[in-house]
Amino acid sequence: MGEFEVHRVRFFGLVPAGVRCMAYQHNGRRLALARTDGAVEVYNFAANYYMEKAIPGHQTRSVEALCWAAGERLFGAGLSGDITEYDLERLRPARAVDGFGGPIWSMAANNDGTRLAIGCEDGSVKLFQVVPGGGVQFEKNLDRQKGRVLCLSWHPSGTHLAAGSIDFIRVLDVHSGRTAQRIMVNCHVPKSKKRECVVWSIAFLSSGTVISSDSFGRVQFWDWERGTLQDSHTVSSSAALSLAVSEKEDSIVVGTSAGATYQFQLLPVKAGGQEKRWVRTKPFQHHTHDVRAVVHTPTALISGGLDAQLVIRPLMEKVQKKGYDAALRKFTLPHRRLVSCARKARLLLFQFSQHLELWRLGSTNKTGKDGETLPLSRMPEHLLQLKSKGPEHIYCSCVSPCGSWIAYSTASRFHLYRVQHEGDSISVKKVPGVPKLLLPAYQLQCASDSGRLFIASDRGSVHVVQLLEPGGCKHLHTLRPPAGTREAVYLLASSADGNWLAAVSGDWEVHVYSLKHFKHHCTVPTYSCAVTALAIHPTTNNLFISYSDQQLFEFSIPEKQYTAWSRAVQNSGLHKLWLERDSPITHIAFNPKNTSQVLLHDVYMLCVLDKSLPCPQPLPDDSAVLVNQSTLKQLSEPARRRQLHAFKICKKFQPLLFADLLDERCLVTVERPALDISAQLPPPVQQKKFGT
Amino acid sequence: MVRRRRRQEKEAAPVAPAAAPPSSEDDEAPEELSFGTARAEAEAERKLVGEAARRHRELLKEKRRRRQELFAEQKRRKLLPEALLQELAAAPPARADERSPAAAPEFSLDKRPQGVSAKQNEGRIPGQVKKDKAGGTRSKGNYIAVHLKDENLTGLHQQTAKDFIHSQLYGPGTNRTSANEFFSIANKKDLVKKAAVQFVDKSWGLEKKQRATKFTKYWVARKVTNTL
Repeated sequence: MGEFEVHRVRFFGLVPAGVRCMAYQHNGRRLALARTDGAVEVYNFAANYYMEKAIPGHQTRSVEALCWAAGERLFGAGLSGDITEYDLERLRPARAVDGFGGPIWSMAANNDGTRLAIGCEDGSVKLFQVVPGGGVQFEKNLDRQKGRVLCLSWHPSGTHLAAGSIDFIRVLDVHSGRTAQRIMVNCHVPKSKKRECVVWSIAFLSSGTVISSDSFGRVQFWDWERGTLQDSHTVSSSAALSLAVSEKEDSIVVGTSAGATYQFQLLPVKAGGQEKRWVRTKPFQHHTHDVRAVVHTPTALISGGLDAQLVIRPLMEKVQKKGYDAALRKFTLPHRRLVSCARKARLLLFQFSQHLELWRLGSTNKTGKDGETLPLSRMPEHLLQLKSKGPEHIYCSCVSPCGSWIAYSTASRFHLYRVQHEGDSISVKKVPGVPKLLLPAYQLQCASDSGRLFIASDRGSVHVVQLLEPGGCKHLHTLRPPAGTREAVYLLASSADGNWLAAVSGDWEVHVYSLKHFKHHCTVPTYSCAVTALAIHPTTNNLFISYSDQQLFEFSIPEKQYTAWSRAVQNSGLHKLWLERDSPITHIAFNPKNTSQVLLHDVYMLCVLDKSLPCPQPLPDDSAVLVNQSTLKQLSEPARRRQLHAFKICKKFQPLLFADLLDERCLVTVERPALDISAQLPPPVQQKKFGT
Repeated sequence: MVRRRRRQEKEAAPVAPAAAPPSSEDDEAPEELSFGTARAEAEAERKLVGEAARRHRELLKEKRRRRQELFAEQKRRKLLPEALLQELAAAPPARADERSPAAAPEFSLDKRPQGVSAKQNEGRIPGQVKKDKAGGTRSKGNYIAVHLKDENLTGLHQQTAKDFIHSQLYGPGTNRTSANEFFSIANKKDLVKKAAVQFVDKSWGLEKKQRATKFTKYWVARKVTNTL
């Protein structure tokens, strides 16, 4: 196979932002998630939990509540006091309507998705109607009482609203606008502990029960018509921050400040009896920090915490068959490529939310055996830090292979820089006269000869910009798909000879364009899943595609059809362990000397795929056959040849953000150890352990 | 009233011979006074009392007047000299258009002691300050009048909201610990005890380290140029 010198990079200081709120769309099986830095992400559960859309954040934007309404429309509300509708096709906030009530703390949509209720800082609850064409329109103000409305919940019939404030809960009649019931929450606490009780979240069941979770760590069940407490459970000594009810209303999930989530179920008191009671059934400790958002889907419990983790826990009794569906999934690192590599210049560009860092890799002049750590003769150097001006976060960035051009784009600006390398130091100059294109750019890719820059834009179009030598650029052409689409392009791949360009848009169509004639060449047959990575082979011009359900395809661009290897793999099927991986493949690279080798990586593994060897067949009893590198090393030569297969997986470098082949002897891997992220998170609640 | 006084005088006189029976005073008939003399006496008494009250009032008034004068004198002592005030009154109208109404009250003819720096308007936003030196006026001491950005009410609301969340989640009584301590508990409870996760804080002595690296680079460069 070969020996590689691995540059193990662990100085990318990425700290993902914590999860603030989530919203689940039942019919589309999508989850919208908002982070504390204002970024909004959409995960598609049907496409193997892939993050299909990401809207970068903004320094002043803070999203406190998200909800899906009227089918596919996503609305968010935050402390700036606006209700924002997000345009998921163009990946930006589309319309903002001021609520005129101060910061908005909570928002809820009724069952039909026709009305939105918002809870404001001044204590008023306002109703908005969802306008079919776009946006929302103010309908009316409900009764206002002093005290910020921190949580809201509609009754399933849409006639009443439960609003939680500080020290009290009230139930409002939607039609008349008056408060039908006011329940004081702070009465059942001993006088010594009397501090204000903040009701963090609330749920309204169709039976008339109001469930509230407050800052004393209690989950309480109230009868709203009589205003009495039916049941009270204390789940933790810290606050119970979030609450979610299942559709059938027989199970709720509660998230606390200590990182624990609890499930409550409505169970009969006696087996087979009529009387039912809410019982705390399952505790989970998936997070280390506050769990500020929980969602209850028909088959799983989803929680998102301030430790930037999204955890999806399928419920065993709801899972139909025992398989990979029942596995716990944890997402910490984003499903996007945040590192660009300039291969010839040995530079790495790291993309943070508001700045870019350019590093030069170190070097060594010693050699060693398998598994040895070689001493560095030159340390990696931090060459450049580019701060983006303005409050907007960066959408995408790239560096050219020769290392002399850096480009990045925010929501309203596009920047291109020319980098001069003078010996050991560098100088940066901004390129003036950047063409006026429709911003933002969703993906940037530099051609391998550093002569052209490809900019992915919305409506499926890609702009081709020529980079002129002393420091200028010129817009050459705009490539558009023949059928036209409303979605934006999010992945690009260009061939090494500069003739072909592949682009994937949000509707999962892969279009291939010819750059010699600037026209559309062909479309890859549609597949039912999202594309997570693609690359064009330097010599054979085969397009290698990996999908979010871990399938691999190879499409020959000159012949406009799948290659024989790809058909053989699809006929025999990929190994079960390969298909049961959590994280998507985010980068594909090729070995320039050996045409049959492909380097793939996801968060937990690095794989060199050798197309000349046979694919492993999943034997019924042997489950470790896929990852067999360690066993192969100990076998003799003839035995090794018998057991050799195409997938050579290395799990030594985890968690991986990026891996690339610099040349045929050199690999670079960018890791982000979980402990390094944890050390920079906000303070968690103390867990007192005996003996410490 | 007269009778009472007479009785008091009579009681005061025979205080020593206490054995004298009190009934003897009752046997005597009161003195006879004509109406005119009684009226005259009453008037005289009233006049006396009135005079006393008037004198008291006059005294108070005098006191008050003296205090007012004292305050006025003190106030006048704190003011700038008359000539300077007239000059200032003449100069600012020329620059009144440039000033925003927000800044006008602060730089109007309010008497202010010298040396005061730019007054804080409700909420200042850093980075948006437009300096506006008062030209053409002689003022003692160094102070600059600045024009601050108009305060955005939503910014204040947002800040209050964020402070509320921060105090609820991280304020006193929430039992928080640092991330380093939290993740080091596992290391401490291990069979083989290890150091804390962030045993050394990289920010300690950051400036010194940066200066040291810069100096090393400079020194090496000097050595190289000297030897060449």
